[in-house]
Amino acid sequence: MAGRPVYDADSFKNVVEQGEVTGFQFAFKLQYYRGITLSIIRDIAVTIDGEQIPREDICLTVNGETFTLEECRTVISPLYRWEFGEYALVTVKKQGGLAAGKHHISTLQFIAPSYMPFPLKNTVDTDFEI
Amino acid sequence: MSDIKRGVSLYSLQDSYYMGDLDLEGCLRVVSETGATGIELLAEEMVKQFPNPIYTEEFQNKWFGWMKKYNLTPTCYDAFLENRIFDNRTLSLGEQVEMMQRDLKCASLLGFKCIRTLVSTPIDVIEQSLEYAEQVGVIIGLEVHAPFSLNSTWAQGYLDRLAKPGSKYKYFAFIPDLGIFSKRIPDVLADRCRRHGAKEECIKVVDDAYAERVEKGFTKIEYSLDLGAANRAYRNANGEEKLHKVLESMGAGPGDYEYLGSSYTYSWSNPQDLIDNIDHICHTHAKFYNMHEDYTETAVAIDEVVAAYTKAGYTGYLNSEYEGGEHLRDVMLVPDQKQLAMHQECLRRAIGR
Repeated sequence: MAGRPVYDADSFKNVVEQGEVTGFQFAFKLQYYRGITLSIIRDIAVTIDGEQIPREDICLTVNGETFTLEECRTVISPLYRWEFGEYALVTVKKQGGLAAGKHHISTLQFIAPSYMPFPLKNTVDTDFEI
Repeated sequence: MSDIKRGVSLYSLQDSYYMGDLDLEGCLRVVSETGATGIELLAEEMVKQFPNPIYTEEFQNKWFGWMKKYNLTPTCYDAFLENRIFDNRTLSLGEQVEMMQRDLKCASLLGFKCIRTLVSTPIDVIEQSLEYAEQVGVIIGLEVHAPFSLNSTWAQGYLDRLAKPGSKYKYFAFIPDLGIFSKRIPDVLADRCRRHGAKEECIKVVDDAYAERVEKGFTKIEYSLDLGAANRAYRNANGEEKLHKVLESMGAGPGDYEYLGSSYTYSWSNPQDLIDNIDHICHTHAKFYNMHEDYTETAVAIDEVVAAYTKAGYTGYLNSEYEGGEHLRDVMLVPDQKQLAMHQECLRRAIGR
């Protein structure tokens, strides 16, 4: 049986800037039941084919605006909530991007809703092809 | 015949919404088809760019149009007091009151009679918001969610401060969540733990211990602003550490400990608590975990709750709140619409209308 999808299977691709592959992107949904201000995101930790990506190399895009994880700490505008049921786009800096072929990604969604005695950590895995 | 009314919290339809099968209006239509007449909104779940649209006439007109079209009445608005919205501090008392007032305002604009505030809400924030609550005519309902309970030092702490003479104090009340009347641990949780390797003999130990706590009575949680510490103390007072050692001696694995740990998120209170506190109850979350084909629920003592409420003369809503999906969604698409329809039928039978 297959569980509820988290990643947008069609979203995985390399990022090309001025003719150079500078990283890769994917979109996924928050594993929670309401939209959140980006300020309560404690971490989005990406591991690709066993390689842990440094925190400073990860950006999040919602509603057309892109924030580093450090910047997310102060984003509380209603315009840039990570809405429930909507994809956020994650951009990962990685020189040369990903090689053509199969990959495995494991991403931690770490958020801290104020009312919870313990923060919420969800690790979501998938295989994809680029 | 009871005057209890039936409603639905849109928390129940989160999986259909997440999948894009239903939008907000679609959810309202599905609720209406179950025969429920009350609606409970989590604005942060289904209103995009919260709270901005709620202030617009365009959204308000759409909302009240839907209420009419689907024969629904706004009952409760679920607020999330995000008092740790920044990671380096807790919001000041003034900022928290401001946030509470924002939610009271939003609730009143959409016709809700009460808001649900969470167990983590400081008493001071509620007390200082009561005048505004009275102004806009919206009750602040404190959710009584497992492992919390009525007739406890925790509940008494709120009553001592907020159940006083004076018109504004009528705007504080409790919202029991029926998870506090769980006679058993939900079967969907046991099944999930089995998938994670839990052994039948370990599940039995945890089930037997739960049954014993139901029989002898749970040790109630104490009032504390440190919810983490209060929770740990509550678990130990109810034997978690001891059971952990028993499981250890049985060679337990992660699935077994998962079952043990999760078992402490359910609790049993005597439904008499509802009668004792009826003057302080404005609304109810009819929590459910898994409906069976014969319209029985796996854990919650619905008939006993309805009997207590009927005896007490409760005329408010029981709003279905489906929480079984969290045990299923890693292996299947959650049948939330079907579960909801079955739970409404179960409530209809219990209430008699």
